[in-house]
Amino acid sequence: MFRHNLAYELKEVLRVREFVLWLMLFPIILGTLFKVAFGSIYSSELFDSIPVAVVKTSENAVADELLKALTEGEEPMLAATFTDAENAKQLLLDGDAEGILTIGESMELTVARTGMIPTMLQEIVSRCKLYETVIRDAIATDPASVETVVAKLSAEVNACREVSPAADNPDVYVQYFYNLIAMVAICGNMTGLHVSTNNQANQSQLGARKNCSATPKGIYLTAGLLGSCIAQSVSMVLCVTFLRFVLRVNFGGSLLLLYLAAILSGCLGVAFGFFIGSIGKMRHEGKSAIAITVSMALCFLSGLMMGNIKGILATKAPWVNRFNPVAIISDSFYCLNMYSDYRRFITKIIGILIYITVFTVLGVLFTRRKKYASI
Amino acid sequence: MKPTVVKIDNLVKRYGELVALDHFSLEIKEGEIFGLLGPNGSGKTTTINCLLSLLSFDKGEIEVFGREMTPTSYDIKREIGVIMQNVAVLDELSVRENIDYFCGLYIADKEKRKACVEDAIKFVGLEDFVNFRPKKLSGGLLRRLNIACGIAHKPKLIILDEPTVAVDPQSRNRILEGIQELNREGATVIYTSHYMEEVEQICTRIAIMDKGRKIAEGTKDELKGMIRNSESVSIEILELPDDVREKIAHLPHVYETEYDGTKLTVRCSGGRHNLIRILAVLQEAELGFGRVYSELPTLNDVFLEITGTALRDSKE
Repeated sequence: MFRHNLAYELKEVLRVREFVLWLMLFPIILGTLFKVAFGSIYSSELFDSIPVAVVKTSENAVADELLKALTEGEEPMLAATFTDAENAKQLLLDGDAEGILTIGESMELTVARTGMIPTMLQEIVSRCKLYETVIRDAIATDPASVETVVAKLSAEVNACREVSPAADNPDVYVQYFYNLIAMVAICGNMTGLHVSTNNQANQSQLGARKNCSATPKGIYLTAGLLGSCIAQSVSMVLCVTFLRFVLRVNFGGSLLLLYLAAILSGCLGVAFGFFIGSIGKMRHEGKSAIAITVSMALCFLSGLMMGNIKGILATKAPWVNRFNPVAIISDSFYCLNMYSDYRRFITKIIGILIYITVFTVLGVLFTRRKKYASI
Repeated sequence: MKPTVVKIDNLVKRYGELVALDHFSLEIKEGEIFGLLGPNGSGKTTTINCLLSLLSFDKGEIEVFGREMTPTSYDIKREIGVIMQNVAVLDELSVRENIDYFCGLYIADKEKRKACVEDAIKFVGLEDFVNFRPKKLSGGLLRRLNIACGIAHKPKLIILDEPTVAVDPQSRNRILEGIQELNREGATVIYTSHYMEEVEQICTRIAIMDKGRKIAEGTKDELKGMIRNSESVSIEILELPDDVREKIAHLPHVYETEYDGTKLTVRCSGGRHNLIRILAVLQEAELGFGRVYSELPTLNDVFLEITGTALRDSKE
């Protein structure tokens, strides 16, 4: 009887249009939109070297050294074209160079327009002039220290880099994808709610019919919950697989643990819905509205709609992040990605398991009634 | 004597101040089609829900097949088929899957279940719709599916709670014939309705309920025998002098006359040839008349005489 109930629960849940739409298609669509939106942010954030025409009118070793620091490396600030004054002018007029850097006894900059890039060039040249003065002073006062001074200044000339606190993935936008997975997980409440309504005689005629049957309540209730968890797990695996392998979102960390966290999170969503459905005598529609509202509020507080909300809460009301199940879910993915040891990840998974247990136990306590005072 | 299938003794169910069932007792024998007749809100569905152990009750005892009925009496429940007032099927499953699902709540053996499902499909005449989803079925077909889901496991006791509400006449007849067929095959049936014609048509014994109480019980003839009215004669007549009406009122067995200017209604209690005697009076007075018809009492008359309100007019 258990297998019979489980098979039909799966058949039914996977055919529910809302389930397919919200838990399978919606994350794919939203994930794609995120990728498109963040993709343009990434490309706008990439630094392109500024093209400059360099005209050398006389030898200047200090300026050469500074120019070398600016034009070499993985992401050089300047892309220099060494040429004569005539050609440099043409490059500037054609827009192939943002400025002409004339190196003689000192460095001079010629630009053809105003704007951000000419201003940046102006700033770079000003700094170079300053460094040139420092180096010349060093040569004059303590020639032995020149090498050290040049090395330090060269390092300073290169762009600053953000250093990640841990190994894998410093991508700040991946947090939105964690929140998206967490949202899919918490939306599993739809199937949990469905189990609760369909098995209680005072909630639906279907529940009444089942309660009259020769199958003990524990069997069809357990089969219903398990079926919902399986269906929800399918949608979680699908969501993570799509984000990771189709949209190529770099989640870092162990993929297997990522799937495990996603599946457990989905079960949390189901348990949450089951718990909401088991409280009181309100109609299914009312409970559904409550579940959706609470879920969306939790998603908001975890940063799905506003990325910095979690940071604000961390300083103003840290307990919200600590108890918000959606935040715990997204944090579990974050920990898996950002920390090389699994201590924090395990703590988050334990939090998820506690929520699953609490919601399920309370749900069972409320739905286990055999007789009702009114139907 | 046939064994008792259902015994309800002194059942009391309260919803706060409201007494939904007031010391209600009932005994149903094997092979009966027992009708629970009463207006909406009279306590029929509450009785059924208590009987099925869905509802808790304040006082009384319920036995089914000679054993106390509890929520965990799964061996008793295995022999009961329930058809609820509202259609209770799974929207995402096809007709066949729905019947198989509900049958599977009673029968674990797959082969046995398969045969039962096919029988149920044939019984309700849904052979052409087995792969349809419930949303694609008309109201009547949906009701038939609801019935198939309740009887597929071949129960010994079938409880039907207002199964013909909002059903077209064709489907209604089919449902009523089906119930009689199930009964012929050996099932005991409890049938609740506020449609007295249906109850009169199929039930072998009837209990009339009002305000949570049983106000009468018996076969339809026994119930009709409980009231004064045995025949109502109606005559379309445009002119009726008072002396003629008086003469009719004094005929044997006539206990009430009513004239509204176009129609004379004469109510008689017992006796034969009432119609002939009334017509003889009219002919003697040389009065012309139109359509004449004689009606036997209905269960509505029984309800009317006992409660003072018509069954149809009773408040919900």
